Amino acid sequence: MHEVVVVGAGLAGVRAGGSLRARGFSGALTVVSDERELPYDRPPLTKQLITGAVAEADIRLAGAEDFGARWVRGAAAVGLDRERRRVRLADGSELSYDGLVLATGARARAWPGEVPAAGVLTVRGLDDVRGLRAAVDGGAREVVVVGAGFVGVELASSLTELGLGVRVTLVEPFARPLRALGGAVSGLVAGAARRAGVELRLGVGVRGFRSVGERVGGVELADGQVLPAELVVVAIGMAPATGWLVGAGLALPSGRVHCDERLFARTAGVAGVTDPRIVVAGDVAWCDAVRAADGPVPLEHWSNAAAQGELAAGNLLAGPAAAEPYVHVPSFWTSAFGLRIRSVGLPGTGDRVVVEEGDPDSGKLVEAHYREGRLVGAVSVNLGRRLAAYAGRLQEERAGEPVPGGSVA
Amino acid sequence: MRITVDHDLCDGLGQCALVAPEVFSLDDDERLVVAPDPAPELAGRVAAAARACPVRAIAVEGA
Repeated sequence: MHEVVVVGAGLAGVRAGGSLRARGFSGALTVVSDERELPYDRPPLTKQLITGAVAEADIRLAGAEDFGARWVRGAAAVGLDRERRRVRLADGSELSYDGLVLATGARARAWPGEVPAAGVLTVRGLDDVRGLRAAVDGGAREVVVVGAGFVGVELASSLTELGLGVRVTLVEPFARPLRALGGAVSGLVAGAARRAGVELRLGVGVRGFRSVGERVGGVELADGQVLPAELVVVAIGMAPATGWLVGAGLALPSGRVHCDERLFARTAGVAGVTDPRIVVAGDVAWCDAVRAADGPVPLEHWSNAAAQGELAAGNLLAGPAAAEPYVHVPSFWTSAFGLRIRSVGLPGTGDRVVVEEGDPDSGKLVEAHYREGRLVGAVSVNLGRRLAAYAGRLQEERAGEPVPGGSVA
Repeated sequence: MRITVDHDLCDGLGQCALVAPEVFSLDDDERLVVAPDPAPELAGRVAAAARACPVRAIAVEGA
């Protein structure tokens, strides 16, 4: 292999680049990014960076300067020709490859209706955080956050913490914040948010926005009430950045790139066929090795992006015959309103939740999630020490699982 | 193998403990505890644990 192109310079792409060199790849390595920024880490964006606890320089991804790549920044990939093995960029130029790493990640989902010209933001990248901070520093005090998933809750917490007198209202169409984690966590988060002064509007959707001139002036809820707003943050999830791959002949279920257990991209059409020159890593991947009871699930976690980036690169160099399967217990963390929340496995996929240590009243607990009696995940709040044991149990269960296709590992 | 933890950076996220639980663990207050003198055969896992740290608080020499 002489020419490898990595598309995407987030964590998965940077880990892939570093891993290629660590495994002895000495050929030409090109990393393409649609951002102009140096590669940066994403988890601090909505927490420590927005509050100013860390500076932009502190969140640069380590190692990105060290692996001798040609960087093509501010250049979006717009097409892939697998037969000619070329990636086409927005300026019309092409990059040839004999190995390709797809790590384009995801974008913030945009509001699906009309929004005022100014004052309605999404947060995914460094630029977005700068824009949000600028709006708050410029005087916005009535802030409505739409969506109480991880990004929405972290932002509500950070904006409240700023000490600038920002009044945050968190609107969520489902009845509970962070409902993906299940169990008692939602209630703990809701209570902590209220105590911190956040107004919660749960179980009510957003119908649209009111404008004052060009700017947003209010948020109209499904029940007809209008919340005053000088700034709105729409945090309704993310969409994988695979528009550029449509038509390339790869399998794109749910808009993600389907890959086998060794992270090789599956092609569209004939079942079971992969492209041996293309590997997938990070938020953009829909990987056969990351499964719930009814099939693969996407993971949008830091640890997944890091681990897949490393393995994808190794497997690309090794080739499909010698490649290793992706073995990974999902792990995730977030923190908001003084609650440090960690999870392993896939807690949202269980049918029974048991508090196995601590209790909701104390604000410290470990919950285990079971499906048909088998452990599928665990969540801790301010009590992370036991999660490693749960991760070990999940790994053992996985090792005993039947492998798709019938043989037993 | 020499393991150094920068406790100013460490946020008790516990990702290292998921990768190499024989060496890294958290206490009741989610502070990191590192076992002394890990066995040499754990070197690969310790290196992987350091790479799994999102805040790069772990340095390993001689792994």
